[in-house]
Order: sequence, then structure tokens, then C-alpha cells
Amino acid sequence: MDGASHRQPQLSWPADADGRVPYWVYSDPDVYAAEIERIWYGPHWLYVGLEAELPEVGDYKTTTLGERPVIMVRSDVGTIGVVENRCAHRGVKFCQERFGHATELLCPYHQWMYDLTGALKAVPFRRGVRKQGGMPADFDMAAHGLNRLRTETVNGVVWATFSAATPPFREYLGERFWTHYTRVYSGRKLEVIGYNRQHIPGNWKLMQENIKDPYHAGLLHVFFVTFGLFRADQKSAVEMDEHGRHGILISRKGEQVTNDVTAGMSNFKADLTLADPRILDVVQEFPGEETVGMITVFPSVILQQQVNSLTTRQIIPKGPGGFDFVWTHFGYADDTPEMRLRRTRQANLFGPSGFVSMDDGEVIEMSQQGFAHAPDEDAVVEMGGTSIGNTDHMVTETAIRGMYRYWRHVMGYA
Amino acid sequence: MTLVPGVDRDAVRDLYDEYYATLDDGDLIAWPDLFTLDCTYRVIPRENFERGRTLSTMQAESRGMLQDRVKGLLGTQVYAPRFYRRFPSPLRMVAEFDGVRVRHNLLIVQTLIDQQPGIVLVGACHDLVVPDAGRLRFQERIVAFDSEMVANSLVFPA
Repeated sequence: MDGASHRQPQLSWPADADGRVPYWVYSDPDVYAAEIERIWYGPHWLYVGLEAELPEVGDYKTTTLGERPVIMVRSDVGTIGVVENRCAHRGVKFCQERFGHATELLCPYHQWMYDLTGALKAVPFRRGVRKQGGMPADFDMAAHGLNRLRTETVNGVVWATFSAATPPFREYLGERFWTHYTRVYSGRKLEVIGYNRQHIPGNWKLMQENIKDPYHAGLLHVFFVTFGLFRADQKSAVEMDEHGRHGILISRKGEQVTNDVTAGMSNFKADLTLADPRILDVVQEFPGEETVGMITVFPSVILQQQVNSLTTRQIIPKGPGGFDFVWTHFGYADDTPEMRLRRTRQANLFGPSGFVSMDDGEVIEMSQQGFAHAPDEDAVVEMGGTSIGNTDHMVTETAIRGMYRYWRHVMGYA
Repeated sequence: MTLVPGVDRDAVRDLYDEYYATLDDGDLIAWPDLFTLDCTYRVIPRENFERGRTLSTMQAESRGMLQDRVKGLLGTQVYAPRFYRRFPSPLRMVAEFDGVRVRHNLLIVQTLIDQQPGIVLVGACHDLVVPDAGRLRFQERIVAFDSEMVANSLVFPA
């Protein structure tokens, strides 16, 4: 092993509990393994996909929840289920396509066959061949189906959980966040317009933090600030659910102006203009004056509404030092061609080449590089004080503090 | 060999030589001028492309949008320094009435400070090259990439 392996990391939380985050949370392999069990397979709903991805009975898609491969499948007209992509016989990840259509689920190794709900329907040579071999007479087909997860389809979004203790999804969100959720996911039929997939070499929690941190948005993202899409002087809010696990950044679009706020930015570009400003052709499509609603649903997804760009950003942890990040860009099935083009155009802001999102992926990688080998040092999380509560401004890290208070509770670092 | 009036295979090859040299040399300011004023530029995941979707990782509908992409790269975006080097395969050209359809494979290798080089993109280019104001330019360039799980950022154009 490497030279650091003899060093016993300090795994106690700093005395200033809410204002510090110790760097071992991002790099310690035992902490990561415990997160997978307690958080990802614990009492939390995980984002699986959009109902619109599976229009027909028999349509399926594969994805990963926590570290486990799963299949999301439309088993009936009104029913989408989620089963683990692991044959009940010998554990084969039998479904390899990303999307497909099938009448049953078949493992190629020994052709065990399951119906679309995951129930085992056929085991070849179960009764033997010419009175030889075969499964024991008492082999119980009903006890050897695919592992079915608890699933809820909520206004077009499919959620699953590994735990029997998870409350119903609406209760998991809480009423405040139910209101935020139904702003975009109102029941209006969704339509997928495309995907982006990237691997970000940083701990998965950094992505949750990124969207719980409005302090950076008005500084790092010069493009946003320059063109008034997200600025520290706009009327805005940071809210959390009662546990501190979910968060939302709410803001409203402003204009390209120079003032005392931009004076505090070393890289503000007052004279920058766009040669083709159609990317800023924004239409107000939701009620109210807010143009931005960035929701973090702990632990697995960010629900993005940034002007007319709607995406789900799924987090798939890949060890303590990285995560896959899957962007599902969508609109509504009844969008006009102009609106579909507008959403496609605004997607230039996001994803692995995004005018703003590239900044986030890069800074997350730089963060991991900076602290991965300093587990005993702490991050300072004191912007806006050390209290945890909703605010009506962006100059705060309160939602990061809230998430880590909940994290400590779940992980047993009280 | 003439493909369309005034355009032969050598002229098309010269355009590609210029295009890749411009990008590999990091001359981003000169890059948009290799496109027509109205153009289609997409760097698009294969899965979107094959389903007829236009949602792209980079997308532009005009030379102006390409210039804005460059302004972002040079003026507003934050990314670690790196070098891109592009390895195109031989060009397959098919004449159309108003231009030349060109298809080829593209491999882009990136090198970051203190790191081994790695593949950042592998895919196929579906381009339309047309005579425009005394030279050849791209009217369409669609880079449909196979590469999954982009190595964090796709910073520079393909």
C-alpha cells in the first residue's frame, strides 16, 4: 500500500460542528463504504429516471443506484418498476443495453427468465434431462425472483429505494419541497430531448454542495453574472427541508449592469457582449417572478430549472474520489418547436462543455486534488454565520451546513 | 478531381488541414471564420444523434454563436490548463449539388499538467463543406461522439 496507509485518520468531527467539514469525508474509503450502506441503500429515495423514457409496455432502461446496477421497466400500461440487474441464479448483470424493449427479462448465461415485474418464470432443465439432474423438487420459483425495489412514479419522475423504512416520497420531500417540486413536475407530460454523461473526479457530495452553495454562483460563474442570469444582488432565497437534506436555490434573472456587487468580482466582464444573443432569449414559463429553481434531492439528484433549461442531474458514486454525472435534458410533450429549440440552445450553459457547468466540474476536480491528502484538515463553512436556516439572500453556505448536520446524524457522527 | 464546380478534393483537404491546425495551435479566435455565417455546429453524444435528437454538448447556429463560445473559453470560463491534439482519419467525400459531404473519424487526446495524456473524445464527423465568399467553409459540422462519461470537461471545440 502507499506510504500513508499506516497513518490512522482522525475520524471525529471538529468541535465547531456546523462551521467546519473535515476533509476525510471526501476521501476515506471506510466512510465511503458506510455512506453507500447508510445513505444510498438507507431510508432515502433515489432518482431512477423519467416516465417519458419508457412510453411502451416492455420498454426498459438500465442505470445504477448507489453502486448497484438496476433496470427500470414499464411492466404494465400504468406501472413502472425497478429491479436489480442481477440474475437470481449466479448474479450476472444480465441486461447490458442502455435502453431496450422486451417481453421478458432473460439472463443469457443459463437462460433463467423473468417477467417484466422480475418474477422468475422459467429455469431451463428445471426437471432435469432424461431423468438426470435438474433443480431440487422443492425449488421455489417464487422465492427466486429479481430483487424488486420500492418504487414511486411521481408526476413523471421514477424514484426507488432499497429501504423499507423510507417514508412515502411526498413525505420524504416535505410539504415545502413538494411545492417546489410540483412547479416543474406538475403532472404535465414530459419529453426527453437528450443526454449528457460525464465523470467528475471528485467526491459525490461535492456536487450536492455545489448546488447548495449560492455564494460561488455569483463569483465563479462569470458568464452567469455578466449576463444577469444569476447574481448576488438579485432577489433570491435558499431553503431547506426540515432535516437539512434537501435544498433549493431560488433566484430571478436580472440585467447586465455594473454596480457595487460586480466591483467585488475580480473577473467581471462589463464590456462583454454576445455576437448572437439568442442563448439569452428567455421565456417566463412558470408562475411567479423566479427564473431559477435548483433543487437538490438528497442524495442522488439535482432537479434543474434554470430559465428554460430543464434537466435532472443524476449522481452515481464511483468510490470516494469520483462520480458519474448523468444529465437528462427534457421539456414538455406539448412544447412548441420554438420552445424545444430554446431549451436545446440554453443547454449550451450546462453539461461537460457548459458555459457555467464546466466551471463546476473543474472546480470540483480541483477541490478533490486539494484536500484528498489532507484528511485531518477542515473546510471553513462560515459564510452567513454558522447557523442553519432558510435565507432570503445568496451570501450564505447555510444549506451546506444543513446537509452535513443531516449527514452526521445518518452516519453516526453526532 | 472536381467534386462540385470550383471545388476539388485537394481544396477540401486543405480546409481540413487548416481547420485542425487552427484548433491544435489553440488559435480559437480564427476558428469561427472557417464556418459560414449561418451554420450548424454540434458536438453531440452518439445516443442523441442516433435518435434524431439535436440536444448537444456544444451547439451553435451561427458564426456568432461560435464566436461567443470562444469568448466564453477565453474570457469567462474556469478550467485547468490543457492541450488538445486532434487525430482525424482520412476523409470520405461525397459531392452534393451545393457542396461536399465529408465524413471521417476523429480522436482527440488531451494532456493536462502533471498527467498522462488521455482520450477526451472519439467519434465521427458528418460535415458539409461549401464554397463561400471565395473560399471553402463549413456549413455543417456535426461531431457525433461515441465516448461515454466524458473525462470531466470537454473544453475546446472538436
